[in-house]
Amino acid sequence: MFRLPCQPRNGWQQLATEFGFHFHTMYGEPYWDESAYYQFTLKQIEQDLEDPTAELHQMCLHVLDKVVSSEALMRRFCIPEPHWDLIRDSYLARDLSLYARLDLVYDGSGPAKLLENNADTPTSLYETGFWQWLWLQQQVDNGTLPRQSDQFNSLQEKLVNRFKDIAAHYHIDQMHFACCKDTDEDRGTVQYLQDCAATAGLTTDFVYIEDIGLSDNGLFTDLRDAPITDCFKLYPWEFMLREPFAEALSGAQVHWLEPSYKAILSNKALLPLLWREFKGHPNLLPAYFDNDTPDEREASAWIKKPVFSREGANISLIENGKESVLSDGPYGEEGFVLQGYQRLPRFEDNFTLIGSWLIGDEPAGISIREDSSQITQDLSRYLPHIIV
Amino acid sequence: MTQQKRSKHINLSQMRKAFALKPLAVGVAGVLLSACTQRQDAQIYTNLDDCKDDYPDAPQRCEAAYQRAVDEAQRTAPRFGTESDCEYEFGDNRCQYVQTNSGSFFMPFMAGYMVSQLMSPNRYYSQPLYTSTSPYSSFRSRWVTADGYVFDGNIRKRNYRVRPDTLKTKPTVTRTMSRGGFGSSVRAKSSWGSSRSGWGG
Repeated sequence: MFRLPCQPRNGWQQLATEFGFHFHTMYGEPYWDESAYYQFTLKQIEQDLEDPTAELHQMCLHVLDKVVSSEALMRRFCIPEPHWDLIRDSYLARDLSLYARLDLVYDGSGPAKLLENNADTPTSLYETGFWQWLWLQQQVDNGTLPRQSDQFNSLQEKLVNRFKDIAAHYHIDQMHFACCKDTDEDRGTVQYLQDCAATAGLTTDFVYIEDIGLSDNGLFTDLRDAPITDCFKLYPWEFMLREPFAEALSGAQVHWLEPSYKAILSNKALLPLLWREFKGHPNLLPAYFDNDTPDEREASAWIKKPVFSREGANISLIENGKESVLSDGPYGEEGFVLQGYQRLPRFEDNFTLIGSWLIGDEPAGISIREDSSQITQDLSRYLPHIIV
Repeated sequence: MTQQKRSKHINLSQMRKAFALKPLAVGVAGVLLSACTQRQDAQIYTNLDDCKDDYPDAPQRCEAAYQRAVDEAQRTAPRFGTESDCEYEFGDNRCQYVQTNSGSFFMPFMAGYMVSQLMSPNRYYSQPLYTSTSPYSSFRSRWVTADGYVFDGNIRKRNYRVRPDTLKTKPTVTRTMSRGGFGSSVRAKSSWGSSRSGWGG
């Protein structure tokens, strides 16, 4: 695993405009960065990232099975009691999931370590599945990269196939797609999924989360009063379960993507449960609930993070019994978990985090994000990768 | 024998998005979909007179519908950095140079406008349409909206109605009682001012 400098493609910004990639620069800072790329061997990809991703996913499903059948654990995961049945039913019905992203710490050798499972609303999908794919094609075509370069990235292909499976499973030929207002990034991600779904033969309709309506007979509706029966939502379950329309969820009978059991898989409480079930597994970091006593021999320092949080908010470092706050944020009221502190690998002045994607139950590719800070991935940049 | 680890093929022309993602004031899909429950016709006109011929008693409404489409075109037409990019998509001499306070660009001429429920004050609707003469474009001889919706049939087809809906029977909605029951957590949490905009992880 190397980080190599690389000549950016001429006029790639113009190309981005043509393809509708509008969030390559955010808040005046570059987000898509092709001035360098990461290079892996096939062995690193397959043995150290792909296989562990499949295995970690199965381990998470094992924990999910335990949680849905335990009231104590549902409570521990801060699932509001009125929705336990909704989640359990969705799990028992084996509702299909579309995707997830496991964040892994990996430096090219040794086992990758699971930092967390973004199982509900992972982003950076478009730049992974399409944009870095296009980058590789073009850099190979213009001779900048060796002809035999490959990439661990079958995301788009698998997304299209997954939508075909979902359409067949639910006997549908139409789906709604939803995200919040005022975010180019989320809208772009959702549009990308609409494109994939359309390629799979589905008709897609878009509605903003805030515009979803509730009808007199208990169905969710779009702005045209058309019923929402099958819906992809780029909006976290932990929010949905606590908002005014939550009580209509069970009556509305929507097939959601992601399904509601993702409230468990995307929950940070998953981490201590994984450690409890698979203690010592090479791809896991030690993890505990914050009111448990962690085994101090397992880590020299601990990261304390909220059960619910986004984008590295509300994180503290605990070292020698002293807690120092690393990032602020609005989260934490539901409690915290502790995870053994694992430094991100450093490449030049960058700290590097690998996102490893699942489509359905299959590993499908990786995305690489760099940050100048060790822990908070606040203004991280996205870099492409190749396999040689 | 090693297998390729990346997607074998991606249809690039399908991924091009010269069109803005911003929804129109009223999307054309709206006409088509709401028609699932209450069938709704829509007509395409290529000039003002054709509309007036259809509505001899309401020429002002035709003018208003035309003007609304023109205004909408200013706001939502696909924009291109160069004339050749625009003409590649829409055909030779089909693009105009536009200069605004926020910059200059090329955009296609409005080729027609779609009108529905012209006589209804509440459901009346009008929007600009485009077509292409470019052999490279998937819109060649088709009607296409500013947000990229391509109508079936060629540009001679001027009247549209709904496709009968879906394999699965959709439940019927008579009335939406309330909106805004999802999304409040975002407002509550965003005051914290994350440097990233989305809610993805």
